[in-house]
Amino acid sequence: MSTPAIVCRDVTKSYLTEKTVTPALRGINLEVNEGELFMLVGPSGCGKTSLISVIAGILNHDGGQCLIFGRDPNEMSEEERTAYRGKSVGFVFQSYNLIPTLTTTENVSIPLLLNGWNRLDATRRAEEMLAKVGLTNKSRSLPSELSGGQQQRVAIARALVHNPRLIVCDEPTSALDHTTGGEIMELFRQEALNGNRTLVIVTHDSRIFRFADRIGVMDDGQIVQVASSPSELQLDKTTKK
Amino acid sequence: MYLIALKMLVGNRGKFFAMLFGVALTSLIITQQSSIFIGLMSRTVGFIFDTPQPDLWVMDPKVQFVDDIKPLQDTKLFQVRGVDGVEWAVPLYKGQIRARLSNGTFQTCNVIGLDDASLVAGPPTMVEGSLADLRRADGVIVDEAAANGKLAKPGPTPDSPKIPLKVGDSLELNDNRAIVVGIARATRTFQSQPIVYTTYSRATRFAPRERKLLSFVLVKVRPGEDVHAVAARIAQQTGLSAYTGPEFKGITIRYFMKNTGIPINFGMAVGLGFLVGVAIVGQTFFSFIVDNMRYLGILKAMGAPNRLLFHMILLQTALVGVIGCCLGMGLASLTSIVSKNSELAFYMPWQVPVVTALATALITLITTAFSLSKVLNLEPGIVFRG
Repeated sequence: MSTPAIVCRDVTKSYLTEKTVTPALRGINLEVNEGELFMLVGPSGCGKTSLISVIAGILNHDGGQCLIFGRDPNEMSEEERTAYRGKSVGFVFQSYNLIPTLTTTENVSIPLLLNGWNRLDATRRAEEMLAKVGLTNKSRSLPSELSGGQQQRVAIARALVHNPRLIVCDEPTSALDHTTGGEIMELFRQEALNGNRTLVIVTHDSRIFRFADRIGVMDDGQIVQVASSPSELQLDKTTKK
Repeated sequence: MYLIALKMLVGNRGKFFAMLFGVALTSLIITQQSSIFIGLMSRTVGFIFDTPQPDLWVMDPKVQFVDDIKPLQDTKLFQVRGVDGVEWAVPLYKGQIRARLSNGTFQTCNVIGLDDASLVAGPPTMVEGSLADLRRADGVIVDEAAANGKLAKPGPTPDSPKIPLKVGDSLELNDNRAIVVGIARATRTFQSQPIVYTTYSRATRFAPRERKLLSFVLVKVRPGEDVHAVAARIAQQTGLSAYTGPEFKGITIRYFMKNTGIPINFGMAVGLGFLVGVAIVGQTFFSFIVDNMRYLGILKAMGAPNRLLFHMILLQTALVGVIGCCLGMGLASLTSIVSKNSELAFYMPWQVPVVTALATALITLITTAFSLSKVLNLEPGIVFRG
């Protein structure tokens, strides 16, 4: 039986804007197992980003419990939460978010440097990681010299380089064409799920649903459906592309 | 991570150079204006600086600064010599006398009349001739800058360069003939007038007739005597004031600080330089931070603690501060070298670079503090915004 990596029970989160309180998560109940690729889909503003922010330890939830590998980030001190993010979480963003003035190797080595690695070892490990994502000859390139797909590969290498247990991805393929998006997802399956990692991917891109082990459909701050295959999904038009 | 911080800084070349320019301009303004201010203040006491031989300067109690001459009766010299503890006391004439140049124009000169016997208070450095040559008939020693400039003879044609005054040339001082017997190097005076050294007796002959012509009595205190005690005795027994060289310099500088607009003018320039620095560097660095907010957010999300971000930002501003400060002070030093023999009063003692460095450090700290609140309050959730 698989061990749950993420267990959310009645997780709520609201945002306070001047005079109004806007609920973003209205009692999320979710379990994601170790080694699982879980996709979160749903219309814009349904709370997907808030949920992965809570899971990644970036955002505090207001109520309920969200255990990540047995600990709730809400109950951690600021230092512990920072260390948790640095050691246990890898991030992949929609717009890659590579630092433009750094080479690909330097970008990839950042999580290692933040975990106390020395520069030489970090560089060596970053180059190995770049080789794994097929960018051996781009180690000294700046992000601006790479295509969108290559930049996302660098972002994946950066997310994996420190061997985190959890990877959260926000729209990793939305800026890529169909073929490149498929390649990136293949790479995710190949590299990211090695070592029993857990992947949570927020996406609107129905073309990549087939890569998921399970798909959670969110609407209005709640998970309204969890499907095991794309064919089981009941999505409204705003989610479909 | 510090190397990453530096690469983030220098990688954004436009902003990096704008910040360097801001700091360099600031430190240039602060260094240059402070040095010119100190240079001007030094010139006010240039003559005292050039006259280190006496222990005490004795003068009328109403004298406010070195050029504020209140002449004494010649008998005061003998009174001073009679005070216990005085090794020697010599007269000194200091006054302004008009020189008629060979082209018919007039130039006011600062004439220094030295004791005929000892020639105490002569110029610090002789370029040509010797101090003893003053004993020759009608002899005067002229300072080098004046010999090459204000007292130089006109060339044969209006466009040709002036011919420097040299030993053997003559001058007309208040209708009296004077022969140049030497050229000396002296500290420039505040008014930048030519300095003409001669003997006391000759100076008083050149000077317009007045009942009293003795400007100062220069005193050497007997070895083993307390200078201040002797000064007090002189004051008590003669009714005159007696100051040590440093005291007289202090009195002169305080007068200029209090009674001229120099400090406020230069203070404003220095203050303006500081504000320009804060404005340019602060704004550019803030804009640099805003540009990098997303990347700082990524670092924060990936586990960079606030302390590390603070150190990274401090390193970035410190680098800009150090390079910019060195550039600015370097440019100011270049001004010092270029203006070495010019009218520009530029004097940069070690305190000026220290003050400039402190001012730059302050600008750096203000800039860091200005940007830091934004970074420390940065929500890492920014990374998920498209």
